Amino acid sequence: MNISTSWLREWANPNVSDELLAESLTMAGLEVDAISAIAPPFKDIVVGRVVDCEKHPNADKLNLCQVDIGDSNNLQIVCGAKNVRKGLKVVVAKVGAKLPNGLTIKKTKLRGLESCGMICSESELAISDESNGIAELPDDSLIGQDIRQCLDLDDNIIELDITPNRGDCFSVMGIAREVCANYNIALDTPSFDSVTPTKDKVKRAIVIDSEACPRYLTRTIKGIDNSVPTPQWMVNKLIRSGQQTHSPVVDITNFVLLELGQPMHAFDLANIKGDVQVRLANPGEKIELLNEQTVELKSNTLLIADDDGALGIAGVMGGMRSATQSETDEVLLESAYFDLISIAGKAREYGLHTESSLRFERGVDFNITHTAMERATQLVIDICGGQAGKINESVDKNTLPNIKPIAITKDKINTVLGFELDSKWIEEKFVNLDFKIKSNNNDSWTVVPPSFRFDIRIAADLIEELARLYGYDKIPVQRLTIDSDINSNSESLVSKYDISHSLVNRGYQEAITYSFISEQYQDLISPGVDKIILSNPISSDMSVMRSSLWGGLLQCVETNQRRGHSNARFFEVGLCFDGVKDSQQSEKIAGIISGKRHPDQWSETTRDVDFFDIKSDVESMLSFTGKDFTFEQGEHSALQKGQTAKILLNKKQVGWVGTLSPFVQNKLSLSKCFLFEVDLKSIQKGDIAKYQKLSPYQVSNRDIAVIVDSTVVANDIISSIKEIKQDFLIDVGIFDVYVGENIGSGKKSVAINLSYQSLNDTLTDEQVNNQVNDVLEMLKSKYQAIQR
Amino acid sequence: MINKILEHAKAQIAEAGSLKELDELRVSFLGKKGELTALLKGLGKLTKEERPKMGEAINQAKLNVQSLLSNRKTELETIELEKRISEEKIDVSLPGRNFEMGGLHPITITLNRIQALFAKNGFEVEVGPEIEDDFHNFSALNIPEHHPARAMHDTFYFDEHTVLRTHTSPVQIRTMQKQKPPLRIIAPGRVYRCDSDVTHTPMFHQVEGLVVDREANFAQLKGLLIDFLRAYFEKDDLKVRFRPSYFPFTEPSAEADIECVICGGDGCRVCKKTGWLEVLGCGVVHPNVLTAVDVDAEKYNGFAFGMGVERLSMLRYGVDDLRLFFENDIRFLKQFN
Repeated sequence: MNISTSWLREWANPNVSDELLAESLTMAGLEVDAISAIAPPFKDIVVGRVVDCEKHPNADKLNLCQVDIGDSNNLQIVCGAKNVRKGLKVVVAKVGAKLPNGLTIKKTKLRGLESCGMICSESELAISDESNGIAELPDDSLIGQDIRQCLDLDDNIIELDITPNRGDCFSVMGIAREVCANYNIALDTPSFDSVTPTKDKVKRAIVIDSEACPRYLTRTIKGIDNSVPTPQWMVNKLIRSGQQTHSPVVDITNFVLLELGQPMHAFDLANIKGDVQVRLANPGEKIELLNEQTVELKSNTLLIADDDGALGIAGVMGGMRSATQSETDEVLLESAYFDLISIAGKAREYGLHTESSLRFERGVDFNITHTAMERATQLVIDICGGQAGKINESVDKNTLPNIKPIAITKDKINTVLGFELDSKWIEEKFVNLDFKIKSNNNDSWTVVPPSFRFDIRIAADLIEELARLYGYDKIPVQRLTIDSDINSNSESLVSKYDISHSLVNRGYQEAITYSFISEQYQDLISPGVDKIILSNPISSDMSVMRSSLWGGLLQCVETNQRRGHSNARFFEVGLCFDGVKDSQQSEKIAGIISGKRHPDQWSETTRDVDFFDIKSDVESMLSFTGKDFTFEQGEHSALQKGQTAKILLNKKQVGWVGTLSPFVQNKLSLSKCFLFEVDLKSIQKGDIAKYQKLSPYQVSNRDIAVIVDSTVVANDIISSIKEIKQDFLIDVGIFDVYVGENIGSGKKSVAINLSYQSLNDTLTDEQVNNQVNDVLEMLKSKYQAIQR
Repeated sequence: MINKILEHAKAQIAEAGSLKELDELRVSFLGKKGELTALLKGLGKLTKEERPKMGEAINQAKLNVQSLLSNRKTELETIELEKRISEEKIDVSLPGRNFEMGGLHPITITLNRIQALFAKNGFEVEVGPEIEDDFHNFSALNIPEHHPARAMHDTFYFDEHTVLRTHTSPVQIRTMQKQKPPLRIIAPGRVYRCDSDVTHTPMFHQVEGLVVDREANFAQLKGLLIDFLRAYFEKDDLKVRFRPSYFPFTEPSAEADIECVICGGDGCRVCKKTGWLEVLGCGVVHPNVLTAVDVDAEKYNGFAFGMGVERLSMLRYGVDDLRLFFENDIRFLKQFN
């Protein structure tokens, strides 16, 4: 909300600068986003009257004016504006005045004639962007008066960011109340007289839903002239508060809304058929609103209606049918209290955020309804004339908010804030805030908040009020005492940090990509998986929750390759989604590599990365757990058939590693990529190290080579050998795989290294040979292996 | 005779230019057919009286020659090594064999720092799901349906009751549901808002903090956060101010500002000329929140805080565009390695 400080000061005028006033509002919880001056600092610019105006004898486009600025002599000023004329009240910059654009006014000669000043436009004063010639001041402007006073230019606009709990601060009066509480001064409520109503029959208003509308006031004003201009003082206030001006009646309702915080509405009485009703919308009912939009109303929408249907959406916006025009001569003013809940969300549902809905959904003082009606009536009669009828009130006291007293003790205040406030001070602040102290007993109070404070319902709310008036900054600080409960995380847990670092040490850069990806990526990576789709995505590129981290990583490689960085090693850790339930959201770690193994360098010839590069990265990452992970041929739609492995732990799949499918690669115009993805949970629980005795005896190494079918996979051979659990076998590995003519087609030769050692003595050749023979026998029977 | 041989040996050994030559000289003087060996063999021809004296003289000469040989050997070896060393000179300014290190994302680095600072104060890390139900994300946090604060959150929806969490605060609720106070936790993680422009990304990170104890008050909250912010920015006299604010789940609520770390409080583009930067929101846990998770609000008090990780990271490292964090441009990421 924007508020002009000069308007605010009519209500509350502490003896501080506008800057300090703004600062104090921020520190009291009404955050000031900006403060800006209405006009730059200039002086010696006054109101003048053109007493004579004739053509300049030596120039077609110039005028020679005599201007009265209240001094004994008139000023002779040469003026080029088209709209300068005799009798006009104008803005005169005297000799010596400095204009905002830097120009200093000097006595000068223009085409041979002396000019002692300048008649200014609004843009020359930098108070308007438009320039339609010189500014034309109202006829009643005082000749000689400083223009800053005349146009009320010593004013600042404070832009406030008001939090949703402070609906009471969406008005000059509301902010003024805050200022008063802060500076401990009294509120200057401008006085105005209630009008004496005519004896006319009132227009009936029937409130059908009194839960939603506990109080509804209307009043007719007949015989008005809505074609008169809105007075300048009101225009200034409205514009400086960021409002457009319309006809006087509409301006008056807007003015009351800004002044008192009560949204009001003026209907053209001539266009209301029968009684006014406050009711819920009927199915299929439509209305054309003031913004010329026609909407179909939902059945939970509260309406103002007449015999012909909807007149407006209650508390949000009026309808076109009963809108006031400049020729309107009788109006029905509405001042109502609508319940928060009945208005809340309506503006959002219809996309109609209005000044009115903003206030009603945060809570409007239900005791200001009458005052606002009287204030608006008085302004209408002052400005537009006319006679007002009696106020017609419909009220249901049972549905008006029931404000309960709140009990609070000094102990409670101390516990929450952590320091002690003085009892006298507390009571004084309650009074400053218009809280009624119902009982006061030994540092324990019962207070009733005022009807405009919808945010004060429990003791904690009172404590916040006290704290903010005391000043959050002044509250002393305390240190937490250390809670000496030793954190008992098992040593077997592998931290995410360790896992990430194993990849960082192998050259991976961590990426963070959006958790939502495009359908295209989702379909490429996980076709056939149920998509978890946002109902209101930012864009279609970000509409599906990822079920794999690969989508983001592929995009990441694609972006970097497009920018000329072809070597990629990225990883990401994050949640992936199989569903919306807690249990369906699991953390994964995934990586992608592409391009060269090493950066080009003088000392090494580099080569392209391959499957076994990424596999070794995965293996080193998995090694933290100390557990035995295995890799098994698998098929994944995003990976190349034949170069895809499932990662298994205890026969359960925990991840994938493989080469990006060439189909996907081509579709995304990427270079060759290799990917892995592992369920993070499965690698975060490891084994605690267990010491194994060191043998002092010699290790016996034996190499064997066997010919097997080329379909036999290396890992099966290794695990089969391990499975026979030989006493002295300490290590087994494959050191060569050979495919060639001399071993026959469809066959391969696998060279295996076996290491044997005993803890008790040196093994004899016979012992070792027996064990090797057992291995060969097993391989023969299981894989039809032939020893080479 | 002996002296002559010795003289001869001395001269020849001094001139020997290689180990091979030296070895040849050794053979010619001390070998089986060497000159000194020949003299020893000739001892038999001498008289009994002459023999010991002569023998000793020959042996002494042998020792002398051996010592000459060994000295010269050391000399030659040194020369040889030095020659090798000079041949093996390399340009040490050439870069080492390059296997590039990777690095963590600046957001992760920032999260790790924040966690480490709070860990020193006994805070445990808790996490929660990112797809949340409206109970945990809103209702339990005292944000009923139709509350204007819901609109403030620009929520992503899956259906009426399922959302992408708009803040890390639901982790407060989940933690209190499964653990009894006293509690001292922080909850880092991704959060989502349906907003995307120069200063907003639809996903960002927060760290939530929660303390629930018999004694947990606003003064402690202030103390903890001031200590944290000064430690985070490594500035002991960093100015921190607290202003009243509003969050439905805390009462009293506050926002904390720090003096602008870019301009030092003089006013610049980053702090919008105010000299202050808003860095976190906090407050005393609202009794309704404690009640929603069956914690006795009469017995226990709590305070909570939440901070935007991107903002802290940007201020710490001088990053001027939020969107860089999620573009994953390698040139950006490498700056934090």
